[in-house]
Amino acid sequence: MRRSTWNKRKSIIMGMICLLLFVQEAPYVNADGKTDAYHYSFWGDAVPSPAAYEATTIITGKKLNTTPMKEPSDMHVTANQHVFVLDSGNGRIIEMDRNFKLVRTIDSFEQEGKEDHFKNPQGLYVTEKGHLLVADSDNHRVVHLDEQGKLVKIVSEPKSDLLKADFQFKPMRIVMDKGERIYVMAEGVFDGFMEFSADGTFSSFIGANRVQVDPVEYLWKRFATREQRSQMVMFTPTEFTNLDMDEEGFIYATSGDRGKDPVKKLNAQGTDILRREGYQTPQGDLLYTQEAGPSRLIDVDVGDSDMYSVLDSSKGRIFTYNGDGYLLHIYGGIGNRLGQFNTPVALERAGDRMLVLDKALGEITVFQTTEYGRTLHEAVRSYYNGDEDQSSVLFAQAAEMNANLEYAYAGIGKALLRQKEYAESAKYFKRSMEPKGYSKAFLLYRKELMREHFSWMMSGIFLAVAAIVTVIIVRRQKRRTTNAGIK
Amino acid sequence: MQASSKQLYQYPLHLIFHPFDGYWEMKYERNQRNSLLIAFMILMLLVITKILHAQYSGFLINLSNPKYLNSLLEMLYVIIPVLFWCVANWSLTTLMDGEGKFSEIFMSTCFALVPLFLIHFPWIWLSLVISQQETAFYYFSNALAVVWTVYLLFVGNMTVHQYTPAKTVLTMLLTLVAMAFMAFLCLLFFSLVQQIVSFVVTIYQELVLRG
Repeated sequence: MRRSTWNKRKSIIMGMICLLLFVQEAPYVNADGKTDAYHYSFWGDAVPSPAAYEATTIITGKKLNTTPMKEPSDMHVTANQHVFVLDSGNGRIIEMDRNFKLVRTIDSFEQEGKEDHFKNPQGLYVTEKGHLLVADSDNHRVVHLDEQGKLVKIVSEPKSDLLKADFQFKPMRIVMDKGERIYVMAEGVFDGFMEFSADGTFSSFIGANRVQVDPVEYLWKRFATREQRSQMVMFTPTEFTNLDMDEEGFIYATSGDRGKDPVKKLNAQGTDILRREGYQTPQGDLLYTQEAGPSRLIDVDVGDSDMYSVLDSSKGRIFTYNGDGYLLHIYGGIGNRLGQFNTPVALERAGDRMLVLDKALGEITVFQTTEYGRTLHEAVRSYYNGDEDQSSVLFAQAAEMNANLEYAYAGIGKALLRQKEYAESAKYFKRSMEPKGYSKAFLLYRKELMREHFSWMMSGIFLAVAAIVTVIIVRRQKRRTTNAGIK
Repeated sequence: MQASSKQLYQYPLHLIFHPFDGYWEMKYERNQRNSLLIAFMILMLLVITKILHAQYSGFLINLSNPKYLNSLLEMLYVIIPVLFWCVANWSLTTLMDGEGKFSEIFMSTCFALVPLFLIHFPWIWLSLVISQQETAFYYFSNALAVVWTVYLLFVGNMTVHQYTPAKTVLTMLLTLVAMAFMAFLCLLFFSLVQQIVSFVVTIYQELVLRG
């Protein structure tokens, strides 16, 4: 009898232990079934998400009725959505209008009466006035052309005490600000971006990455002999891989190795002012295999409302963040399908469309926002512009399409807070894992609750205290009488 | 002597406020079986507190992902450090003329954990009704609990082993070193066992595939 109950109990206990051990998550299934878009949650897990962009077309040289592009390396889109592609292999610039019709190609310019050509140019920038800046890498110079393609100036080998005597100027990427200062990312330069003043003289470096020291490697170096040390890799700051400039003149820069912060926003002094308020710092993929390594960010594009996208060359993915550093969406990939790339090198936004330039295939993939992407962008935009009511409505819509978008719930919470729905607001902030907002809403809710129930709570406490005191007095009285009785 | 239920909670409470008396009583006057029972109960309560904290405390102070909460692991996070501490302390004090037996070391350690439980447990619910500014109170009381526990550990060690204060501090620091050493040995052992297992499995597979 006893044995059988023990057996029964044992099987129940075993069952409970098994339940504890084998609770596993269900595998993820994507909502729309078509795409493999995903997102990172507050906890850093990859969670499914609807696609924010879908690839519509591919632009090749043949489609433009010109010769195929050969190793194009950079691209720029102007405000009126004209697309400029730097076709490095052919040493030319291709200009298209907003419908991807060829406008012109520039493969030469006139210098002192002679025709001059580009030699393996790597970087291109188009100013608001339509001036073209070309980092003419193998000619060791920067070429500045006006909107007609006429030469304005050439910036070649800078002379400065800051530079080594054997320094070779090989510009790779380039931007120009409103004051016509030129910022150049040059090969083999670890001191940051080279800044040239409007007349083309080199003035200084800005925004150098700091040296990252691996403690283990450092320890080994301490023990190594001088000869061994000379064989080891030097601690050098990471090089930038690309740069872009936003409307206000701030430089956004990416660095290739996963340092501390692979994305930076530099002000005029070269200090990093990127906001990193999101769940994770902007860095591309959070989860990666040991062999594949972290994301290698090679291009950044700043859109409106402080939203920016970065391009990861190792996985071919594009990550978009808002101004606060919250991840908005991820798309793209390496592969053979439409919407995937072979060797993506440059990223540009043209209105609702996103263009990605593929170097090896010599083509541009055009992405168009989906309804989800448009809603999300519109929500971020209206929040940026201060229209919080509009933004909360849009965030609610976005959250409806993507329940995993924790960031959107904070937007709803903010709107509810203003409508004085404190309890609901706190709930949404909590779902969004937003301690600040939650705290604010919760405090107001608590105050409201206290005000409502203060009278009976206080009387309850008063009664309870009175009851306890009476009990104590009665007991003491009793004890005294019994003690007296014993005596 | 049968422990009355009143004694079960009165004695640990007495001990944490009067540690010198309490530990002396534990070592020389009290029934060892009862004390051991209380010690185990304290450990269990601490485990429960830890699990409840991870699952239910407010998200302003709780940074663990409830999706990956594993009660068994949470349990180990409490029990293994205590066990390591006791074993390391016992191994050291045996060599350093300590008078404590292993059971005494274990009991004194567990009794020292009472403030941790006492302070953490109410915070599981309090944390649900605080705002972000008030989390300062949480962190303060947390620190208070830790300091109190360390003080109790110190007194316990001193009483159980009959050490001078300086020697107690030295022993406690050495115990920490010994704990690190033990953790290293354990990891080494497990990784070696893993390698042996994988070696045997490989040989087995080889044989099966040949035959």
